[in-house]
Amino acid sequence: MPSLSSMSQSQDIHFDGLYAHELTVSRSEHVLLEDAELHLAPATITYLYGDNGTGKTSLMRCLTGLLQPDHGTVYWNEKPINHPESGYFQDLIFLAHSLSMKNELTIAENLTFYAQLRCGGSYNNKELQADISQVLTDLGIDGLEGRMFAELSAGQQHKVALARLMLEPAKIWLLDEPFVNLDQKTRRWLAAKTLEFKAQGGVVLFTSHHHIDELPVDQKVGVEHE
Amino acid sequence: MISTLLKRELKVARRNWIGLAIPLLFFIIVVSLFPFAVSPEALMLQKLAPGVIWVAALLSMLLSLEQFYRSDYQDGSLEQLLLMSSPTSVAISKIFAHWLLTGLPLVILSPLLGLLMQINYGFEHINHTWVLMLSLMLGTPTLCLLGAVGMSLTLAANRNGLLVSILIIPLYVPVLIFGASTVTASLESLRYNGELAILGAFLMIAIVFAPFASGRALKISVG
Repeated sequence: MPSLSSMSQSQDIHFDGLYAHELTVSRSEHVLLEDAELHLAPATITYLYGDNGTGKTSLMRCLTGLLQPDHGTVYWNEKPINHPESGYFQDLIFLAHSLSMKNELTIAENLTFYAQLRCGGSYNNKELQADISQVLTDLGIDGLEGRMFAELSAGQQHKVALARLMLEPAKIWLLDEPFVNLDQKTRRWLAAKTLEFKAQGGVVLFTSHHHIDELPVDQKVGVEHE
Repeated sequence: MISTLLKRELKVARRNWIGLAIPLLFFIIVVSLFPFAVSPEALMLQKLAPGVIWVAALLSMLLSLEQFYRSDYQDGSLEQLLLMSSPTSVAISKIFAHWLLTGLPLVILSPLLGLLMQINYGFEHINHTWVLMLSLMLGTPTLCLLGAVGMSLTLAANRNGLLVSILIIPLYVPVLIFGASTVTASLESLRYNGELAILGAFLMIAIVFAPFASGRALKISVG
């Protein structure tokens, strides 16, 4: 029987932030989660662990609403995420395994596109381009704005995907294996930015195969099969 | 939102123009082989012209469907688009961009192929080229819209090209029938308003339902 074990410090359940209630998820007849409860409060970092194939990614995709759970509901600030007033999708950045960047576009074009899509018309292109250069400099890939995404190395491509976190305003980050493929310096950078985001009241959920020393977490959640 | 999506589509397509040129080239080659294979006799070609041009256009559209949604699905950006905007607006912008890049070039190229097939032979005052263009102008968007639904339904299946063809060719047939018969009617100096009206009606129905259906199907395929 699959189960979701939570080692949360705080036992009191209040609905602020992201709350998954009685979530049951199965993939091709195989039950991954059954009646799982998960609460991600504002200003917390949650580490989701588990072996390969236990359903970490499926759980995360359920939380994004991309994957329909068999039953159960995901709430964002006490409203179901699909509720038009929840504003969940404006608040959410989901970085998946696939980097979701187009090979045919330059780095700046890729990042600009997502920022534009999020902000609608209300953005300043000059500021955005300046922000992009700044983030790329922080990540150590400065000067590559005009390069095609396909021309970068795997690690550099991963950094570009992470740059989205800095360019789009959000309240919740769901990060699938964000630390994979990263060098020491970038791991530290990402950990620092995640803590900064938490300090602003952000909700973070990330998966990883190893413990990340640089990032102190508030809550550990394991997906395990008994 | 739709304009942001549309701009991105066009930019990606511009960098990836060879993929779009192949279906067009196919269209030209198929039609231009007919005079060699059948007969260079003008009357014969003229009789065949509506059918040949329409069948070639339909196959060329079918060929280009492969690019619909496919690369976005593979690199994961489709997921992001569905998270950040509504499925229907993703479908609308994709379909519109796809028609601009595959359907519209067919319409623009069709006079050349009409010339090749001697479509105006023996007529001095009537120009059938316009009728051909008009029928394609009304027909190709419908083909695009129907193709989008088929593609989004079969995204998750591997090698979905064949599956899509089997799935949507029956839906393409009515468009083909009325598209080709519009031109045939014009060649026989009959009224062709009725055929055009039916092509227009097909288009209207497809515009209303296809983006919605395609959007829903995308959600299912991604989930």
